Amino acid sequence: MAWAKAGHEAAFRELVRRYERPIFSLLYRMVRDRALAEDLAQETFIKVLNGIKSYRPEFKFSSWIFKIANNAAIDHLRKKSLDTLSLDGSPSAETPEQMRATSLQLGDKSETPLDEVESRELGTAIEKAISRLRPEYRSCILLRHVEGYSYEEIAESLELPLGTVKTYIHRARNELRVYLEDRRE
Amino acid sequence: MNHSEMHLTTDEIELWSLGLLGAQRSFHLSDCSLCRDIADRERKVILELVQLPRFAPTAGFADRVMAQVKVPTPSGDWQPN
Repeated sequence: MAWAKAGHEAAFRELVRRYERPIFSLLYRMVRDRALAEDLAQETFIKVLNGIKSYRPEFKFSSWIFKIANNAAIDHLRKKSLDTLSLDGSPSAETPEQMRATSLQLGDKSETPLDEVESRELGTAIEKAISRLRPEYRSCILLRHVEGYSYEEIAESLELPLGTVKTYIHRARNELRVYLEDRRE
Repeated sequence: MNHSEMHLTTDEIELWSLGLLGAQRSFHLSDCSLCRDIADRERKVILELVQLPRFAPTAGFADRVMAQVKVPTPSGDWQPN
């Protein structure tokens, strides 16, 4: 990190090499769009590396970079209101007509090779279940069980109280379990 | 009720699912079908999550990032640890 703080190009490249997969994976699962996830990942690294002098070593570097990546995803989802859009329509839809009116129309365009990759990568039951979680639950559960961070590290990274992180992860696992069990029945 | 008879907490069930719960508390599962059922269902979800793959961005990602980063110092012969 000292070399990166001093602005050495090779140290910057090493940070990108170490974190590109975890950061891209988190963003891809948050926004479920490869090209967009890559743009947000690029934006995250540029922000981090151009602002490396402001990095405070008392915090873990991973917490810092995940915070910036997660904020980028949440900001994007809020702007586009994608967090309320699902294949089955808005969660606030109460009738079948409302669900149809707010659902994604997948048949409207022909599938591109990138769409095929996305549906192969994110088409499993567990990936679909994750996509149904609230974005705040999604980032917590991904950091906990895919990246293996502790509750304390997640709380620091996402700037949330420890109790909130525990609640989000517990609720997320319950929702995933119910969804997966419903599919098996 | 002694400690080994107490139902597992949510945190303990997570630890058990990850293989990190101590033997004394894990032993409770052999006697308590309620906890065993909850723990088995929880473990299935956790195992699915921990087995998820990490995805890679497209080739040349690092170059595209570096093209937009201000690099004040040439790297010389610096090598990563």
